[in-house]
Amino acid sequence: MVLKIFFPQCCNRADSGLLVGRWIAGHDSAVVLAVIHYPFIPGQVKQYIQQMQAQSGVELSVLGSWSLPKEGQEGMESFLRDLSTIFPQERWLQISRQMGKMGFTCEILNRGQNGKAAQRRVKKEKKEEEVDSGEAEKDEEEEDEEKVIFVHYEQRKVMLSQLHPIESGDPDLKTDPPSELRQVFQTVALSQPLFFLDKYDDGPLKSTHWQSEGREASIIVELLKQASVPLCLLLSWMLSMWTWLCSIRIFSLYPLRFLSTKLSTCVQLSYRTEHMRTLSSPKAAAGHTQFMRKANMLVSVLVDVALGVLLMWWLYRDEHIAMLANTLVPAADHVAKELEQLLQWLMGAPAGLKMNRALDQVLGRFFLYHIHLWISYIHLMSPFIEGILWYGGLSACLGLTFALSLLSDMVALFTFHIYCFYVYGARLYCLKIYGLSSLWRLFRGKKWNVLRQRVDSCSYDLDQLFIGTLLFTVLLFLLPTTALYYLVFTLLRLVVVLFQGVLHLSVDFINSFPLFAIGLRVFRPYRLAEGVKFRVLCDEPGVALHLLMERAFDGRVVQPMEEAA
Amino acid sequence: MGQRKRVAAVKNPSSQRHSGAPAEATRVSNRKHNICMVSDFFYPNMGGVESHIYQLSQCLIEKGHKVVIATHAYGRRKGVRYLTNGLKVYYLPLQVMYNQSTATTCFHSLPLLRCVFVRERITVVHAHSSFSAMAHDALFHAKTMGLNTVFTDHSLFGFADVSSVLTNKLLTVSLCDTNHIVCVSYTSKENTVLRAALNPEIVSVIPNAVDPTDFTPDPSQRQDDRITIVVISRLVYRKGIDLLGGIIPELCLKHPDLHFLIGGEGPKRIVLEEVREKYQLHDRVRLLGALEHKDVHGVLVQGHIFLNTSLTEAFCMAIVEGASCGLQVVSTRVGGIPEVLPEDLITLCEPTVRSLCAGLETVIARQRSGSVPSPASIHACVQNLYTWRNVAERTEKVYDRVAGEEVLPLDRRLQRLRAHCGPVAGSIFALFAVLDFLFLLLLQWLVPDRIMDAAVDATGPQGLWRRETESKNEAYSKRAMKRAADRETL
Amino acid sequence: MEDETFTDISGKSICLDCQSHSSFCREFTVSSPKVSIGKVMVYTCSVWLLAYAVFFLTQNTAVLSSAILITLVGMMFHIHFVKVDHETLLVIGSLGIQVSSSYASGREITTFIEMSKIKDIVINEAIYMHQIIYYLCVLLKDPSEPSAVSSVVPLFQSSKPRLNCLVKVYKSCQEILSKSQ
Repeated sequence: MVLKIFFPQCCNRADSGLLVGRWIAGHDSAVVLAVIHYPFIPGQVKQYIQQMQAQSGVELSVLGSWSLPKEGQEGMESFLRDLSTIFPQERWLQISRQMGKMGFTCEILNRGQNGKAAQRRVKKEKKEEEVDSGEAEKDEEEEDEEKVIFVHYEQRKVMLSQLHPIESGDPDLKTDPPSELRQVFQTVALSQPLFFLDKYDDGPLKSTHWQSEGREASIIVELLKQASVPLCLLLSWMLSMWTWLCSIRIFSLYPLRFLSTKLSTCVQLSYRTEHMRTLSSPKAAAGHTQFMRKANMLVSVLVDVALGVLLMWWLYRDEHIAMLANTLVPAADHVAKELEQLLQWLMGAPAGLKMNRALDQVLGRFFLYHIHLWISYIHLMSPFIEGILWYGGLSACLGLTFALSLLSDMVALFTFHIYCFYVYGARLYCLKIYGLSSLWRLFRGKKWNVLRQRVDSCSYDLDQLFIGTLLFTVLLFLLPTTALYYLVFTLLRLVVVLFQGVLHLSVDFINSFPLFAIGLRVFRPYRLAEGVKFRVLCDEPGVALHLLMERAFDGRVVQPMEEAA
Repeated sequence: MGQRKRVAAVKNPSSQRHSGAPAEATRVSNRKHNICMVSDFFYPNMGGVESHIYQLSQCLIEKGHKVVIATHAYGRRKGVRYLTNGLKVYYLPLQVMYNQSTATTCFHSLPLLRCVFVRERITVVHAHSSFSAMAHDALFHAKTMGLNTVFTDHSLFGFADVSSVLTNKLLTVSLCDTNHIVCVSYTSKENTVLRAALNPEIVSVIPNAVDPTDFTPDPSQRQDDRITIVVISRLVYRKGIDLLGGIIPELCLKHPDLHFLIGGEGPKRIVLEEVREKYQLHDRVRLLGALEHKDVHGVLVQGHIFLNTSLTEAFCMAIVEGASCGLQVVSTRVGGIPEVLPEDLITLCEPTVRSLCAGLETVIARQRSGSVPSPASIHACVQNLYTWRNVAERTEKVYDRVAGEEVLPLDRRLQRLRAHCGPVAGSIFALFAVLDFLFLLLLQWLVPDRIMDAAVDATGPQGLWRRETESKNEAYSKRAMKRAADRETL
Repeated sequence: MEDETFTDISGKSICLDCQSHSSFCREFTVSSPKVSIGKVMVYTCSVWLLAYAVFFLTQNTAVLSSAILITLVGMMFHIHFVKVDHETLLVIGSLGIQVSSSYASGREITTFIEMSKIKDIVINEAIYMHQIIYYLCVLLKDPSEPSAVSSVVPLFQSSKPRLNCLVKVYKSCQEILSKSQ
């Protein structure tokens, strides 16, 4: 079995001392978290570790000793070995670094079940070996039993990365034991209290580990955090007012309710309300995903409002609103005129097609009358349009998305006649197709069995067949006329739908663009890394294997760790 | 067996013509072949062709040949799969056009088939079923690549309508330089020889077989207070389901204790459902839907009479299975069916409702009077009629003969195509052959044969599969010994 | 450490470099030949000649500038997303397997698979672009039922070595895997 030791890079040059960390059960690997330097009082170390354990919830322990020889310091070996008796452990690591060499050497002292004698013997052997060869790893028998991999990691990045699952419960309670690397990440992330001990503190213990360097900047963050609490309270109060207003019974009446689901402004309003409710909740985000979602939401709301204010500034500057209102009515007139021409064309012989004249005329007149109605309605409205626009423009202060949804609603209202045409055409066409298909079945002596959802054979009377055939012929010959009207109005409707689709797409884009995540990806890539990457550091023969663990940003095939994020 | 003698008789003159000395012929017969079975129809699709290919391959592997199967991809089943005894199946991603048959353009399947042939070191290409476009493609490409080919026809065709005229022309072209053709019955042989304008000497008859151990009678499953008629077939027009729809009400009216058990699925199911609803026969006509091969036996043993209403059939495996389970068989007299079973085991009728009803009436009367032979005796009659080992032996002889023949070079192939298939179609297909050859040259230039890795042998003389499994444990070798003993007794 | 030359499935020569860091850690690097200047020149010249012909017919200078842009963008795209320089397989006993491929531009894509997720490494057959080829792949365990294979990770995807090279890698991978399991 190969022993894996995860070693923080910042401890590479630390002074000699004790290694504090955690054995990962079942995986035969150890995570080194910090080095506590000499001189220390063993009792204090034990107390400190217990304290840390209580704070972080990680089973911390003293893993072994670390020695970085300096000039004038010798004879440490026997002392280091004695340390293992003070801190009783199943296994005791002795990691040491030699001058002028890249790699570490590591000795492992196993505590045998049968007491101290065995332990001593192992140690003796070890010592002789060391004297003989100078390298602990040379002995082949030893190498077969215990092989060591050093995996160096950068403590800060591992701690801040979001790969480890941050569950509320105990990870051991899960049925499926988490994988080894995840446990490593979790250990490092949870043992944050260990890293609060500052280098310059005047405590009884001195230790080396990663240290935050920006304590001062965090004051501003703290102030902001404090300020956000009343803000959240205010927001939630306003929200509760708003929801109370919304829940008045008059709004749940049938037509209003139906309208509010159809109007994109209302939809956007409810969407934003939901956002605000999430943002203003006083609880901190539970997990990484939750946090990212909240942050993305906040950033998107801010960007949205900024864009909206920009739009307002442009709208109210040089009477742009009046200009818009003045062009709107002629535009609607123009559309109506074009439609009239189209209908005239359809009532003649469109594209050289010969249609059923009577039906053609009836349909054409019907639609023409509809357009006439519509134009009078627009003209009735025209004095109020500027006002509507002016007040509608105000909504932009709530965000660009509101302005866009309002625009989409207005387009829908202004092209209501096109929608009507489409519905009439489609309904007519649909009826015809249904009639034709059922008559075609009658033609073949079949019928649709509604109960069994299948086509059965059926014997019809002579007069049934006669009338059915007659109707079939009539419908078949009238089909091209209806089909043409249907086609033309579907195309028209499609143009409107496309325009509205573009508007909705842009609204959705602003609503859900993960700006915060992208920013994080650019400035703090390790926060969003996908996996890990190993690099072989040195391969001097005879020295244990050294690997450097880095974060990978371009995982491709499988991301074994991705389920966490 | 008469058919077998005939094969030998057919075989002799040509082998003398090609190899000359009988000594060489015996040497040839000992050699092992690398066979590639090509057909559009293979598992997971179910049917006669599929099980034929599978069983034949298994028996050939047992005889020490190397066999691979190439078919088209079925849904998510694509790539390379291994079946029992290391039978390797290539599910090639070719577009399915109609009825599980691939679209043919004559060319697009060449790269993949060439890859299969080259990396498996194929010597004989054996194509199955004239409905399969892939089989025709494979014959065409194998000739371009200079391999010997065998074709097995499983079905009968008409001569009258447009689709059969076209298919027959295609068959003429693709069989015109196939080395040997195998048919499943004499009717089928006549049909194929006429359709494809072949020399009858290169057509042999090797019937299909059933595994008699899978179809044993079990009278305890029958309910003796009633008479059950079993029908197992795909519910399509060719199988005469419209006839069945006519028979059911007529007989059910006459015999209140008559029950029908119908297994299979297809577009004609609606006919049977309507009949059932119209005459209120829900308790007496049971539609079982699609059956898996392993469930067929369980259905067969529940019946007294097996009914087959096919309108066209080259060799009906279903009636052999029915008879093997000890059922009285009633069938239409079409295609190769009269050859399949001896007179006393089958009642043949014309493919009309009246004739079938009459036939069924007589069998029912016999069943009631108890004058039918016992299921066990019927099974004993049938069980040695058709076995896969026999089929494999006879097919092996065909391979031996084919392996000695020369493959025509391109110029003679073109001449033959033009001479054999008429001036217009012959010229067109000669052009196709030239194009195919050029395409092959292009492929050989793009990916030369030498950089294609030879596939690791799973079966065959040096098959890894066999060596591993035989050395693996004692139990297996015992089984192998038992199997060898079986072979000797057979 | 040894360097051997093999060919890939289309006959181009590739290099297999096996580095043994220790008895349980091996690194296999398959490197394809570098982008050849000649090929780049040929493509660039052909695009430019075509652009010049169009320019000659239409007298529109935008064609020429867009041709230059197209070649530049095409080349960038090619070296950044298409051309894989070398692919590395790092097998560390009892820790995991790392697969990385680096593109000609230096971009590197890495995937690390933990040993607890790995079921085995096998050589498999697949149909690829009208050919049937052998490839090496890692089988991943299904976390719910350990005997089943949940997915397959193909190795050396862009330089597709032939069977003899795969067998060599396969054998030494199996050595390490058998030791650590």
